[in-house]
Amino acid sequence: MATRVVTVDRNQKSGVLPILRGLQITFMNFVRSLFLRQASTVSYPEQKRPVSSRYRGIHILTEREDGTPKCVACFMCATVCPAECIYIESGERPEKTIEKYPTRFEIDLLRCVYCGFCVDACPEEAIIMSRENDLVGTTRAELVIDRDRLMARGKLVEHGAGYRPDEHDVRRPVRIAALERLKTEHGIVPGMPAAKSPRR
Amino acid sequence: MPKCTIDGKEIEVKPGTTVLQAALDNGIHIQHFCWHPDLPVDGNCRTCMIEVEKMPKLQIACNMVISEGMVVRTTSPKAHEAQRTALEFLLVNHPIDCPVCDQAGECYLQDNYMRYGLYDSKIELEEKVHKRKVVDLGPIMLDAERCVLCSRCLRFEDVVTGTNSLQFVNRGDHTSISTFDGGKIEHDYAGNLADVCPVGALLSKDFRFKMRVWFLKEHESVCPGCSTGCNVYVDERDGEAQRLRARRNPDVNKSWLCDPGRALYKQIGVTERVSGARVRGAPGWAGTSVTAALDRVAAALKEAGSASAFLATPQGTNEDVFAFKALAEAVGGALDFRVGDPQLKVQQKLDNVLQHVDRNPNTQGCLDQGVGKDGVDKILAACRAGSVKALVLQGPELLRTPEAVDAIANVPFVAVMATHEGPELDRASVVLPAAMWAEVSGTFTNFQRRVQRLTAAVPAPGDAQPRYELAAGLLSRLGKPLGAVSAREVFALVAKATPGYAGLDYRGIGAQGVTVGAPAGGAATVEARA
Repeated sequence: MATRVVTVDRNQKSGVLPILRGLQITFMNFVRSLFLRQASTVSYPEQKRPVSSRYRGIHILTEREDGTPKCVACFMCATVCPAECIYIESGERPEKTIEKYPTRFEIDLLRCVYCGFCVDACPEEAIIMSRENDLVGTTRAELVIDRDRLMARGKLVEHGAGYRPDEHDVRRPVRIAALERLKTEHGIVPGMPAAKSPRR
Repeated sequence: MPKCTIDGKEIEVKPGTTVLQAALDNGIHIQHFCWHPDLPVDGNCRTCMIEVEKMPKLQIACNMVISEGMVVRTTSPKAHEAQRTALEFLLVNHPIDCPVCDQAGECYLQDNYMRYGLYDSKIELEEKVHKRKVVDLGPIMLDAERCVLCSRCLRFEDVVTGTNSLQFVNRGDHTSISTFDGGKIEHDYAGNLADVCPVGALLSKDFRFKMRVWFLKEHESVCPGCSTGCNVYVDERDGEAQRLRARRNPDVNKSWLCDPGRALYKQIGVTERVSGARVRGAPGWAGTSVTAALDRVAAALKEAGSASAFLATPQGTNEDVFAFKALAEAVGGALDFRVGDPQLKVQQKLDNVLQHVDRNPNTQGCLDQGVGKDGVDKILAACRAGSVKALVLQGPELLRTPEAVDAIANVPFVAVMATHEGPELDRASVVLPAAMWAEVSGTFTNFQRRVQRLTAAVPAPGDAQPRYELAAGLLSRLGKPLGAVSAREVFALVAKATPGYAGLDYRGIGAQGVTVGAPAGGAATVEARA
């Protein structure tokens, strides 16, 4: 929906005219929504506004092909979380190539500030965000969602995935900052990163 | 004393000092993997390359002994390029599985890559040589892929324990470390392998996946496991001790810590702790406040007067023992601490590495303060004769002694300061909750008569208090206050009253401790196995 910019002159002298002008706007909106069906509101929750594909809604834990969590319990999200709303317990996974997985993974959605740092920090693209933004529950405990519920959310089709990591945006600043620190603190300027050798 | 210049900084060193040691001592960091302060120099990792003036080629800092007038550059473009290249070689076959690796956060590869590396890898993940992962070596988990082949663990096994359980196998980039026939590591010092490993190849099984290390806060303390008094860090998160780690002290434990000592953190957060005072009434035990329990003990002591007996514990700090001794002297009762003759074992070595036979951390402190007075046997005999009306125990050792059961049963009032619940506590009339070593500040005196400081790392459970506070509470109820509140103040009194401790200052002791007088029984520091 296009936004209309209204400029208001605060220095305008008060009088009847501005009141009439205001009434005119109200009346026009009334006519538009009543006869032309151009309402600026939607009938939530049946109707929902479209949100950005990078919308930061309720989290999703992604799965591997065999249905186990992609998460390796590295605690990066819990470390970076400014609201400290992520609780993880890790355990031994039978496959020797992956070793570690979360036996418990809980997000307290009432504490979460939906900053998306957890998504940026995740090295495995195991935690992403959905576009779902309505959070309803009858108890507080209901809104602390556990691993299985977070994983089941991956199958949600109605809202779809929202904020996901972007390799280029996220990792680059970290490295630039590290290089900067190297230069200022230690006076070391590493040679330019060597070009990748052609694949054999 | 040769003088040298490292990165423009003039440094005077003892003859025989290597460039790496001198640089690290003076706040100049040179990356290293195979060099360890308490292991012989091996020089195999080649990452500590430095440029020495008038030498045509780069040298390794760890094996370069400083000579007069040497000019060293550690950050020149030539040196830096060599350091970077050496690091890149170490990382060629590294699996980069930091997300699942427990070493992440205290890993030399991570730290040095962020400082010296910062290159793009030339090797694709699929091209890397794969080795054995998740190999169970008993107390240690081996991941051969992460290994940088620095041989620290091999040298530790060779020089410190003499067990040689680990060796290199295979050749070229297939080289890896292994035990013979995949056997387990069976000595008492396996935890040190995880400590010396600069990367995540050898990791503690006990700490596996328990906690990411950057959440932990370290607290300087002393291991209470035996009279050696190894310096440790208590690593804690949110008031829960997660592990013990060796803290380097060249005069006591070097960089090592035994496995039984390492496991002692497990006694701290258990549910079987005594968290409140209780008093035996007519129907049985009744929980009460510490204040009420202390009132009861003080009343019993007033009544008993000199017909009382006191047993200190060598598990307590010097401050605990001092306050307890003051209590015994204020009441006028008999006093001792030698349950099970720890004074005979304090100098006895259990093995050739660290451990002593005496499993108490402060037997020497008790001896120094002269707490061994009347003899436990004499006190027990008096109990049997019925001439002891009140017995105060600083620890539950005597209650656990089978020979003492009948004697204790003869005493009408027994108060015990206990840290852990146990069936033996039922033999007492009052149980006072005592804080453990990791929950109190204070000092221990080890077998060398070295006074070493502990800092409180975690909060004590429930109402538990340091033993010296319990004793001070009793003293003030008896009208003879101790006159000191904090551990530092009590230690000032200890230093004044104890022969040889004069002039010691609680803060002046520092992190490494101070030896008082001549170490009894010769300079019996940790001897590396020849």
